This record gives sequence, structure tokens and C-alpha cells, in this order.
Amino acid sequence: MAAKPFVQIENVTKRFGRFTALDRINLDISEGEFLTIVGPSGSGKSTLIRLLVGIDDVTEGTISLNGTRIDTMPANKRPTCMVFQSLALFPHMTVGQNIEFPLKLRGVAPADRRTRAIELLALLRLPESYYGKRISQCSGGERQRVALARALAFDPQIIVFDEPLSALDYRLRKTLEKELKDLHARTGKTFVYITHSLEEAMVMSDRIAIMRSGRFEQIATAEEIYSRPISRFVASFMGEVNLFPVIGRADGTPDWPAGAISARPGALAVAPGWTGVLMARPELVRFLDAGQAADFTLSGTLTAEYALGSRIQYSVDTAAGLVTVERPFETRLTAPVGTPVTLGWDRAAVHLIAEAADGTA
Amino acid sequence: MRQVSRSTRIALYLYGAVILSLLYLPLVSVGFASVSKARYLSFPIKRYTSEWMTAAVTSPTVHELVLTSLKIAVSVTILSMVIGFFGALAFARFQWRYRGLFQKIILLPIFFPQTVLGLALLIWFSALGITPSWKTAVVAHLVWIAPITTLIIAIRAYAFDPALEEAARDMGASTLTVLREITLPLLMPGIVSAGLFAFLLSWGNFPLSLFTTGVDATLPKWLYSRMVSGYTPQIPALGVLSVIGSTLLVAVGLVLMRWMRPRD
Repeated sequence: MAAKPFVQIENVTKRFGRFTALDRINLDISEGEFLTIVGPSGSGKSTLIRLLVGIDDVTEGTISLNGTRIDTMPANKRPTCMVFQSLALFPHMTVGQNIEFPLKLRGVAPADRRTRAIELLALLRLPESYYGKRISQCSGGERQRVALARALAFDPQIIVFDEPLSALDYRLRKTLEKELKDLHARTGKTFVYITHSLEEAMVMSDRIAIMRSGRFEQIATAEEIYSRPISRFVASFMGEVNLFPVIGRADGTPDWPAGAISARPGALAVAPGWTGVLMARPELVRFLDAGQAADFTLSGTLTAEYALGSRIQYSVDTAAGLVTVERPFETRLTAPVGTPVTLGWDRAAVHLIAEAADGTA
Repeated sequence: MRQVSRSTRIALYLYGAVILSLLYLPLVSVGFASVSKARYLSFPIKRYTSEWMTAAVTSPTVHELVLTSLKIAVSVTILSMVIGFFGALAFARFQWRYRGLFQKIILLPIFFPQTVLGLALLIWFSALGITPSWKTAVVAHLVWIAPITTLIIAIRAYAFDPALEEAARDMGASTLTVLREITLPLLMPGIVSAGLFAFLLSWGNFPLSLFTTGVDATLPKWLYSRMVSGYTPQIPALGVLSVIGSTLLVAVGLVLMRWMRPRD
């Protein structure tokens, strides 16, 4: 990361009446970065980007861009542009007029506006014939591209995205995620994207910020968040992971409050009194044949099998609760549901998350 | 849509015919009355004449009446469109403390019996020392019509995404530019239909005008006084001409709205 941050959000608090939507947020964004903010509904992610572009005002704290404070500037003076969830394309204008709108505001001559709009249509892989089309004649994916073209025409320092893909069907969303990542690479702009899907964030982002109840839970690369989540909340955001509560005994060996897991002596050392959870990803848990060993073993009964396409997911009922196991489709088990099985995984596959005794991170 | 059986279809046509005749038979009979040579309408009409129509069109009294009615209706239309536009924005775009209450209170005049409202306004005008004229009638009409235009425009304002205005502002548009480039064009169909309503309601209004025009007379007020004393078929003739005028206005308005509507 650069020595001096491009965007610096310092101690930002936003209150609506007595409700605190954002609580002393700090975030630095580098120039040209693709940062995604992930969080459940009501976590404050939309509020944060509305403060960033200036639609709402901060209650406390400062936002700076290139060392200049922008939180006191009105929205129409800030070099930021938002792609709205609804896209906010103007229905009474054509595709071309929509793209040219920010240029028209800036007083660019009609001929130059048109040239730029057609360039942008090409950049977004829309045919030139779309220039005169009505917004209502465009499909969902095409509207997405028009909204992006309009944002690029404005040529802001930062483009902010408010879940613009959430209304689209799965396949189109997957295509556009890749296009957006590609567009980011080609334009070199700073993108700030918000979504409630960590999966979506992982496809596109340089860094991911996980938000919870108006605060950041973890800000890191996709890889870091995937393999070393800082809390149970972050871990559970990625879908099905196996979490086993752990308490450190006085002799430094683990105790399993939810049910016994056999650990090879010395496989896991925990400080006396340490409280937390052990995370084991479903794809790193194996079915052990008789005689096979692993650092951690757990026996149970196979209760369900789900085909996920390229992978198969199994549910195993054990003394420590239901455990999820995933493996490639090619290695599908021959054993039927109801068969007793032994599960095993190794020290390298686990990640420990420390928690306070009451379960909070 | 569901396919209907032959008998249901016939029943539906009958129903339609009954409703239409109930609505339009009175108008048609007024039309006949205006072209009858006889002073009082009786069927079958023995002799047709256009003399009453000609009299209605050429009479200087009628010209003056039409002018007064037009002055009132045009003023009411313009003012109620402006008031309705800003009122609708206040409802649909801003959160403020007594918004809900205000929204209900502003509609009350619509439910008020107009004669009572007219009388109340007359009392007010005389209490304030204002001599009633066509100008006071404009105020009286506005009390009743502005809530209606506000309602019509508000329906349109509620239906459009506030993100459109936010997006325009975000891209550098000033408040005035947002109003001119986004809000106004998108609300325009609502504003035009509100204007049509305002004009027609003001043009045809009798109870409010009766109390508040003073010595000035509007067309409905004059028609009423002539019906009470001194009826001639010139009255239905004027009525018919007025209906034709209104119909043309509505037609122009509908064409205008069709032309402006974003195809969404």
C-alpha cells in the first residue's frame, strides 16, 4: 500500500436520530484499488458509501481524498460517482443521453460528447446502435453496462457501487462480476463495491472489508479472509464451515465443550483458559479408511449427501454436532446414508479463532 | 384474459350500453334541446334550428362570460399546477415532522360541501374587507382544486425512484439542474393531467363561483340564473358548446401526455 492513503476515512460516525449506523469507522483506500465492503443488511455498508459520495452527511469524523477533506463538500462537487442498486438510469433519456449527462453538465460540446459516449459504448462492449435506444429497450445486463458507461463518462476519482448486480440472475451476475474486474484492470480507477455476498467480493476484490453492526470486523485480502477469518461472524459469512468450540485445559491440552474430538498428542497446544473455536473447512476434512491416521479424528454417521455440481457435500452426525464434508464429484463415496464413518483432518487445515468466554470476538 | 361464453359476453355488452346511456343520455338531450326551434324541449322535435347556437356564439354577454370564466380557469390552472408540484415534492421527497398530518388536512377541502366552503370564503373575504370579484373566485377555486392537483402530482412523484435525483446530483448537477433535467420532465405527465383537471373543475364550477365572484359572472353562474328566470334554448346551446370545448381540451391534453411519457 502507498505511504499516504488515497482515501482516508477517519473516525467516521453516522447517527440517524438515536440509531448509530456507523460507529467510529476507519478505512484507508489506495489509488486504483478494488475494495469490497461485505456485510448483512443493516450493517452500515450502504450508509458508509452514501457518506463517501455525499448523499448523506457524516455526524462525526472526516473523509479525505488525496489529503483534501471531502466530507464537507456537497455531493455535486465531489469527484466521486455512485452506481446505484436501481442503476438510476434516466427513463426519459436515451442510452446516449444518459451517458452524456455528466458531460453535458460540464458544458462539453455535443459533438465531443457523442464521440466520448460511443467510445464508452465500445469499452463496455455495447454496439454503437444502442446510442439512440431507450432505456426500456435494454436488458438487465445492458442497463448495467450503460450505468457503468455513464459513471466512466463522469470520470470520477472513485466509482462506488451499491450492490448493482443483486437484481440479476445468477449466470448474468457471474459474467458481469468478471467483466467488472476486467474493466477495473483496464481503467485503473479506484472501485469501492458493496455487496452482501462474500463470494461476489472474492471474485473481484483486491481487499475485502467485512462489516458488522456499524463497525469493521476484518479488512484483508480475499485469501486472508478465506483462510484466517478473525471471528466466527466472518467465518460463517463464507457459507458452510465447521466450527468446534475449544477451551484450554490447565495442562495446555484442548477441551471440547461441544463433544469430544480426538487430537493426536501435541497436535494442538492451547494456553490454559484460552477460549475460542477451531475452524475446519469442509473441503479439508477427509473420510478416513481403517488404519488411516490424522491429527484430529471424529467418528459419526453419514446422514445426507448433496450434489453441488462439481462437488459433493456430506453431512455427518457426530458427538461434536453436524459436520460438513466436501469433496470433488469424481471421488463420490460408495457408502450409503446411515453408514458409520470416521472423519479426519490435519493441523495445517485448521484455523483457531479466539473469543471471549461469552462467545463474542 | 379469460375467454367468456356467448351469454356472458352479451350480458357484458348490455351492461356497457346501460352505463353509457345513463352517462350520456342527459348530454344528448341537452344537445337536442339546443337545436330545437321550440322554446321547450319535447320529443319528437318538429323543427330544427341553428339560431340558438348562432345567438350563443355571437352574443357580447356570452363573450364576456367566457372571458371571465377563462381568466379564472387559466389562473387556477397555472397556480394549482405550481402549488401542486411543490406540494407533491414536499410529500414525496422530504421527511418532516407533521408530514402525515399535513397530508390528511390538506385533502379536507375536497370533502367539504362546496356551497358551505363558498359561503365560508365569502364571509372571510368580507371580514377582511376584500370586494369579491373574479380574483377572489380564483382563490376560492384554489382552496378546492389545489389539493386535487397536489394529490395527482404526488402519485406520480411517489412512483419515481429518488435515486434518479441523487444520481444526477452525484454527477455534478445543481439543485436547479436536477429540477429542470430530471424531476420536472419525469413529473410532467402528472403535472399536465393535474392541469387538465384543474381547468375543467374550475371552468365548470358553480357553487364556489356563486358565492365568491361578486359582480363578475362566470358561465355556469349565468346559466343557472337564466335557468331560474328567462330560459331560452340558448342555454343548452351554450352548454353543448362548453362540453365540445372541454372535450377538445382533454383530447389535446391526452395527446400531449402520450407524447411526453417515457416509454417505461
